[in-house]
Amino acid sequence: MPDPPKKEKKKNRTSKTKLGEGGGGGDADDFDAWMKSRQLVKPDDQLDLTEAELGEEVIKVLTPTNTNVVRNLVVYSFKEGEYVSAPLPGNTVTLISFPGNSLHVDSEDARRQIEESDEIGYPLPMPNYSVVEQRETIIDGEEEGEGETDEDKPDADGKQSPGPGGGGGGGDEEEVEEEEEDEGKGTEGGAEQETRDDEDGGGAIAIPGGGSKKRKLINQFNYCERATLTYVNPKRSVDTQTIPPSRSQFGANVLQWVIYDTYQQDFDQQQKQLAGSGSKKDERNRTSRQKKFKDKTALAKQLNAKYLRCWQILERMINQNIFDDIGMDYRYWEDPADEYREGEGNLLPLWKFQYEKTKKMNVTDIVFNPSYYDLFAVCFGSHDFLKQPNEGYLCFFTVKNPSFPDYIIQTDCGVMCCDIHPNYPFLTVIGLYDGNVAVYNIRENCKTPLYVSRGNKCKHGECVWQLKWGPDMTDGEINFYSVSSDGTVFNWILMQNKLWVTTIIRLYLEENGTADGPDGTKVTLRDGGSCLQFHPTNPGVYLVGTECGFIYKCSTAFSSKYLMTYHAHNMSVYRIDFNRFNVNIFVSCSGDWRVKVWEDMRADPLFIFDLGSAVGDVKWAPYSSTVFAAVTTEGKVHVFDLNVNKYKAICVQAVVPKRKNKLTRLAFNEKLHFIVVGDEKGVTHSLKLSPNLRVMVKPPKKQLYLDQTTLQIAKLEKLLSLVRELPEGEVVADAATTVRS
Amino acid sequence: MADEAEGKEADKKIVHIYPLIKHTDMTEEMRTEVVELSVSACEKFSSNYELAAKLIKETMDKKFGIYWHVVVGEGFGFEVSYETENILYLFFAGNLAIVMWKCS
Repeated sequence: MPDPPKKEKKKNRTSKTKLGEGGGGGDADDFDAWMKSRQLVKPDDQLDLTEAELGEEVIKVLTPTNTNVVRNLVVYSFKEGEYVSAPLPGNTVTLISFPGNSLHVDSEDARRQIEESDEIGYPLPMPNYSVVEQRETIIDGEEEGEGETDEDKPDADGKQSPGPGGGGGGGDEEEVEEEEEDEGKGTEGGAEQETRDDEDGGGAIAIPGGGSKKRKLINQFNYCERATLTYVNPKRSVDTQTIPPSRSQFGANVLQWVIYDTYQQDFDQQQKQLAGSGSKKDERNRTSRQKKFKDKTALAKQLNAKYLRCWQILERMINQNIFDDIGMDYRYWEDPADEYREGEGNLLPLWKFQYEKTKKMNVTDIVFNPSYYDLFAVCFGSHDFLKQPNEGYLCFFTVKNPSFPDYIIQTDCGVMCCDIHPNYPFLTVIGLYDGNVAVYNIRENCKTPLYVSRGNKCKHGECVWQLKWGPDMTDGEINFYSVSSDGTVFNWILMQNKLWVTTIIRLYLEENGTADGPDGTKVTLRDGGSCLQFHPTNPGVYLVGTECGFIYKCSTAFSSKYLMTYHAHNMSVYRIDFNRFNVNIFVSCSGDWRVKVWEDMRADPLFIFDLGSAVGDVKWAPYSSTVFAAVTTEGKVHVFDLNVNKYKAICVQAVVPKRKNKLTRLAFNEKLHFIVVGDEKGVTHSLKLSPNLRVMVKPPKKQLYLDQTTLQIAKLEKLLSLVRELPEGEVVADAATTVRS
Repeated sequence: MADEAEGKEADKKIVHIYPLIKHTDMTEEMRTEVVELSVSACEKFSSNYELAAKLIKETMDKKFGIYWHVVVGEGFGFEVSYETENILYLFFAGNLAIVMWKCS
């Protein structure tokens, strides 16, 4: 502070000038005398200034900056490892502060607090929040005001004072209670109540300090502070108890005869053992050893079966992934082109099923399993007389696993046909090229047949062409029928341990049926059977197609006479199939390139179709009464819908190359819209029928209640009536009209 | 007739004197030891069953712990409770029954 001394000097100077002036005036004596009484005191170190120096004007400027503030204060920062400048201290000087825990009733904090007190369910009297009271006052040590009363002084130590309206008598007690409040919040309820009671008189209400936390409502009547309790150690018993040794009861009577009998019994037993032990010991050892061995093998077998099952599932999963696109096509692809071409359809090739070992064999038969619609049996043999393999296979393929057959049966000559029992889907019978038949139980094993025909007489003389399971006999025996090119139809019954064979019919030629034998005898000429089909509703009636091109309608009851003879074809009849909806209608195919549709007991066919090459197989569709499909040796699949076109196939599609390969057999899936066809290279193709090939009948508007079966039957009936109306003599749908252009 | 009679007599004459265990639940090891002991005791005091019983009891007490009870006699009935695995009911010498059990 350099300024104050200068001021002093100024003052001194003015007084001096005054002195000088005063000495000049006369009436100034008194004044001088009065003035002289005042002695000027000079400090010792006062500067002696000259007149000029004293007359110099010194200008003083007042600025608002606080020169006392230290501006270059630094602090060592441990974080940055250097000195940093500290922030400027403010110009404000706090003289006094009164922190309090009372709030204004309208403020935000007060509102929140009231809400909280509502939450704890503890009633706080709202309407009295009018005056805000200071309950805790902390005063800055330095700036303690003189105005503070003595009563307030204890507050400075952090203690709470009773409110101004509080009675002096209760002061000590309250203080104690307040302290408790600080320690344990639990007691606050009670303490608070009292303080409030006291303060009601003053019209001020205290709000508990630090009240931002939720608090528990406690029992106000006999609550005991936890801190006041001492530990009570739980009582423990030190003794132990053991379990007494277990006891039992026993009693008997000792009599001489008891002793005697016991001895006798024991002695007899000993004698027996002595007699038996010599011979039995060895046997027992041997049997036990065998048993052990058997047990082990059985265990291993079970384990293998389990593993096999796991692998099968895994294989199917892999296949599902590999053939995902085909699977999608199979489920969802409907050829959009079908909408635009009327009365034409096509086939979408799906999976190909083949087995490594049957690559060079012909597919000789395909049969779908009646219970598992995805499973079908494929027979492998040869149709070529000169190239007969010395092995044959029956493979069960499933759509779920196109890469490998699920079951494989191997035989020592070509398998020509098979059939799966409709009631026992695991029973499969196969017919072999050498005339034998064998029944397999697929469920148990595929290696050894359950039954096999044995001996010279108990088999067909030539290749078995077709097999059919018959309905169970009256006493429940399972049986099947077979037809062979030796001209016989056999009925085989599965007895307890063998096949019992009966000849049903020996096919003979009706016209020119005898030939001259030696010595003038007559020899009846035989016809070779080539296919067999049972009437769907009358199991006693069946049709046999022969190698001479006839179809005979026969009965299982008698064999001397045919019920009907159809002069069907000029070459061997390959397959016959009954219509699914009308049992009087059947279709036949032959090596003379033709497919003919017949009605029962009508000598002439209703329809004739010429397919341009030998027709290997023909089948009616399971879903429609007018749709059937045929395969030819040209490698083509023909699908007919008589309702759409009576003269031409609505779909002709080559499945395999014409020169290299031929198609042999065909089967419709019973549930889903695809067919499988077999070729000569051992491959089975599956083909999806496009929507035009499986059109259903739309019910007329007035007859919406009719179901599809009725409608299908009606459709076929309508069609037949058109054909039947033609005069008797005229050749129906003459071949000339249907010959391929 | 004479032959038959002779045969019958021959049947009857067979008298078994080997020790025959009628009932026991002792362990194999203990059983053989106890049978041996009782046989030797009964042979030693073949005319005084009391002494035989006393001998067996004392030996058993020493070997398998105290509180053994032993009865030796030709005709009696009994109904006892015993600590399991500690009973033996034995016939010996064709006319003797020995029962021993442990129960504290």
